[in-house]
Amino acid sequence: MRKTLLAFLAVAGLLFGFAAPANAYEPVNIVHTERVQAGPYGLTVGFSVWPLRAMQSLDFTFIPDGGIAGKSGTLQITSPTGGGRGVQPLVRHPRKLDVWGLDVRSLQAPGDWTFSFVINGPAGTGTGQLRGLQVLQQPGPPMGLSWAISTLPLIALVVLIVLAWRRTRSRLRGGGLPATA
Amino acid sequence: MDLTASGVRVSTAAPRTGALPANIALLGTVLSLVGLTWDIQWHDDVGPDTFFTLPHLFLYSGSAVVGIASLVVVLMTTAARRAGRPIDARIGGRVVNVFGKTFAAPLGYLVSGAGAATFLVYGLWDQWWHGLYGFDAVIDSPPHIGLLLATTLQSVGTVAVFAAAHEHRWGRIGALGTLVVLLCASPVLALGLQQVPDDILDPVTVGVAMSSVLLLTVAAGFIRRPGGALGTAAGVAALQAVFWWFSPWAAHAYADLVSLPLRDKISNVPGLPSLIPMALIAAALVLEALFFVAQRRNWSLGRVSVVAGGLAALLLGICQPFQQEMLFPRFTPDTAYVLITGAVAGLFGLLGGFAGWRFGGMLRLLVPARKEAVDA
Repeated sequence: MRKTLLAFLAVAGLLFGFAAPANAYEPVNIVHTERVQAGPYGLTVGFSVWPLRAMQSLDFTFIPDGGIAGKSGTLQITSPTGGGRGVQPLVRHPRKLDVWGLDVRSLQAPGDWTFSFVINGPAGTGTGQLRGLQVLQQPGPPMGLSWAISTLPLIALVVLIVLAWRRTRSRLRGGGLPATA
Repeated sequence: MDLTASGVRVSTAAPRTGALPANIALLGTVLSLVGLTWDIQWHDDVGPDTFFTLPHLFLYSGSAVVGIASLVVVLMTTAARRAGRPIDARIGGRVVNVFGKTFAAPLGYLVSGAGAATFLVYGLWDQWWHGLYGFDAVIDSPPHIGLLLATTLQSVGTVAVFAAAHEHRWGRIGALGTLVVLLCASPVLALGLQQVPDDILDPVTVGVAMSSVLLLTVAAGFIRRPGGALGTAAGVAALQAVFWWFSPWAAHAYADLVSLPLRDKISNVPGLPSLIPMALIAAALVLEALFFVAQRRNWSLGRVSVVAGGLAALLLGICQPFQQEMLFPRFTPDTAYVLITGAVAGLFGLLGGFAGWRFGGMLRLLVPARKEAVDA
């Protein structure tokens, strides 16, 4: 027993000791920009991937002319069908703290999306929209196939339960105590 | 060792009870759960992701621990059968043949090991997915749901491992403890139901209510004495409280360690613990009360568990939207929406109560009747 425990602890130690997690995160590389005029504020919207594809995540940056100091704002993302996540505050990008942004965010459906901005700053409040942001079809296999692969453990569990159910049915009928209790 | 007068060596070592590998498997499921709540909080509060983060290490090492414990027991069982030694079915349950008669695997360890192996394989599927789609931390992507289903399978196997030893106190406690782990993780799995349209009711709440009731009645049906459902619910509440503190602490401490800032305007409400129903103890009390009355009046407990499951799920289905409103004030539940969600949760709860009680009984039958228990 003691040897088994020592061996187990040694394996755990090796696992945690040598598998030091990486702490290097990719920089935000903007490859395409669009301009939005939100009242008195010019805003540059940056994308780390272009063109956009459904479900494919990327970094977004939102950079008001003159920087984000002394400014605040909100963003509302509207899907091609008119739905969306609601209004969210503009926050700093966690890997590029001098600008606002969204990190590794994807737009789920193909079609034309709209980003609506409200910017508050020294010149008052301004609103503006980035309309017709085109998102192409998703890459990769059809979602049906992906879900079929991912639900295999569920199917295995159901098969296991059905087999166990059939084998124990006669002994558990009526909800009484099983024979071995 | 004892040397008898006749010179025959007789072993006086205590017979193996299987407690060690069972508890190692439970440790693995707990590691996975810790990794899950930590990872969710990391994405909520910090954000940047790579495959090699500490929360991911917990998730994968948890499955590795369960997998190694399961593999060792299967190999030892196979070796024992080949050597003609008796096999005790109380260690992991009935032995089933795998790949013909190549391996002899106790059913519980077969399921937990298969779940752990599936998790590790699905890790590759997840890695490929992130390579194609990027690291958007959506919990309900197909590979993530596949990974969660695999951890469910490994936990179900671990419950069976402990249940096979139900004549030992540690077996009963371990089975309930693993059900607590399963119950804490099940609301995250229910998030997969976000794929279902939510125009007239909240499918996630229905899924949370049904899975909670199912697991509570499994506990009651397995223990078959007062306190099974309530004890499990109390265990979940205790773990929920611990994670309420731990999840943000761990995410923020790890961010400090790797010199990453927290996101702006993060919520004070932790991700995974806030998904666990706070009305779970009330739901367990409903179950316990109805089982108590049924026992006093000699009603069929199996039939009563159907009604009890429906009522408990109705309660959870109605309370869950208000819990979300309390924690995240931007949610304003509509009365009709809540009532429809509660009613449908209640209907699924009937099924949960029915199946849960039966599953609890099935767990008690994992070990053959005593005369067959020693299988040469």
